[in-house]
Amino acid sequence: MLATTSSLAPVVLAVLLGWTGAWKLFGSRVVQQAPKTALARMLRSSERAALVLRGTALVELVLAAGLLAFPAYPLPGVATALLGAGFTGYLGYGLVIAPESSCGCTASEAAPVTWRSFARAGVVLAGGTAAATSSTAWWVTVVERPATSLALLAVGAAGLVVLSVDPDRWWLLPLRRTRLRVFGHPLAGKAAGERVPVAATVELLENSLAWQAASPVVRSGLLDHWEEAGWRFLLYSGVHEDASRGEGDGDGEGGARPVSVVFALDATASRDTAGAPAARVGVVDADTGRPVPVDLTAVRPREVLPVAG
Amino acid sequence: MTAHQDDTGGLDRRRLLARAALGGATVVGATALGGIDADAAFAAPQSPLDPAITKSSFVEGRITGISGSVLEIAGSYGDRSRIRMTNATSVWKVRPTTAEVIEIGDGLYARGVEMPDGTVAADAVWVNIVNLHTTIRGIEKKRLHLAHGHHELTGNVIADTTSASYAGRAPTADLSRLRIGQSAQVLGAWRPSDDSVDVVRVSVGH
Repeated sequence: MLATTSSLAPVVLAVLLGWTGAWKLFGSRVVQQAPKTALARMLRSSERAALVLRGTALVELVLAAGLLAFPAYPLPGVATALLGAGFTGYLGYGLVIAPESSCGCTASEAAPVTWRSFARAGVVLAGGTAAATSSTAWWVTVVERPATSLALLAVGAAGLVVLSVDPDRWWLLPLRRTRLRVFGHPLAGKAAGERVPVAATVELLENSLAWQAASPVVRSGLLDHWEEAGWRFLLYSGVHEDASRGEGDGDGEGGARPVSVVFALDATASRDTAGAPAARVGVVDADTGRPVPVDLTAVRPREVLPVAG
Repeated sequence: MTAHQDDTGGLDRRRLLARAALGGATVVGATALGGIDADAAFAAPQSPLDPAITKSSFVEGRITGISGSVLEIAGSYGDRSRIRMTNATSVWKVRPTTAEVIEIGDGLYARGVEMPDGTVAADAVWVNIVNLHTTIRGIEKKRLHLAHGHHELTGNVIADTTSASYAGRAPTADLSRLRIGQSAQVLGAWRPSDDSVDVVRVSVGH
């Protein structure tokens, strides 16, 4: 079984190297991707990085051809194993000096270095070693044990797909969708759908006339909120400029004093609720706790300007 | 939520405030106006219409030090500023909270008024807030797998906090209509410790 596996390793490796090599050598995006790779950081030049990527691609294609054509000779396997070791070293170094960069492994992906990149380099290293030790040509194995060979090749192909980031949406997302369909939505039922979240109340408030009326006073974001007797209270802080208190008060603030602005809204209402929900506003002096008379009814709804076209 | 409720007299204060609100003027109506909630951290700074309000300043950056009630901020463009927290400052970190939860290393957006001593007295502070355009790639009980550009991102689902907005409707606690593959605008708080995002609101179908 082990002999069968090692004699088929060149085929799987040739597919992997041929795929990544062809992408890097003939893909038009290599030049665009090169500056984002860790290689560009190491070489301090995107042009050199692109050249090295193309060079590596050529080596990969030559190795793929060598593995397919001369599976009984150890040289292609040894060279592939060395390439795999080189990849692993490059990935490790790249992870240290430029963790956000992509590895440039397949040129079509811009994803940063992940465990998959390492696993792929490991596969090249291990597969190369296996290919080097095998003295049976893969076509001999395929002819002698066709069923086992096909099964092993299928497993190898599936492994390659799992290890490449690119085909994620062809297998991972459908798999996750199926899981959701079979086992139900994991976020269903746990939230009491009837309860209106505070965010919805805040949104309702910010669309309200009460907010518009109080906006010259309110300065802070939401400070606190609580519920009581069907009301949801939203607390803000602000500054109230009192025109009746002049400069002569000696506080140097021109009659400005810190206030708390509290809004009360129906706890079950949101922007989607039918009707016009009521919002109540109270302004309280932050120091004394005494209500501050602010005439909020003077505000009239802003008229929507007609838009041409 | 007990954000600003202290042990002594917190309930009394709430009762007082509640009375003030319910005794106040009732204003009915729905007219759009700019907000100052978490979303507003990303809105273009507006100069207030009220001439009495002095020009407000905007500060963003990473917190490099905390001394008393002053936060030392290193801005993204090499600038430095100092933010003074007051008892009127609102603090947002996933939810409305208090200044104690702010840590060195957190990112921050703040709006406030510049003081004569060079500090900015903050009116509102948003800690670690992020607003990301993502694609939903996985849904679990406790987290969403998101893709932001080419980066994989973990979004933590927080009970009682995470809300969803479908097709521009009001936020709801019902997250069961999220689908894999949907584009989602995620408002949340970045967690520096593990580089994940606590999802506060996810908007889909907009």
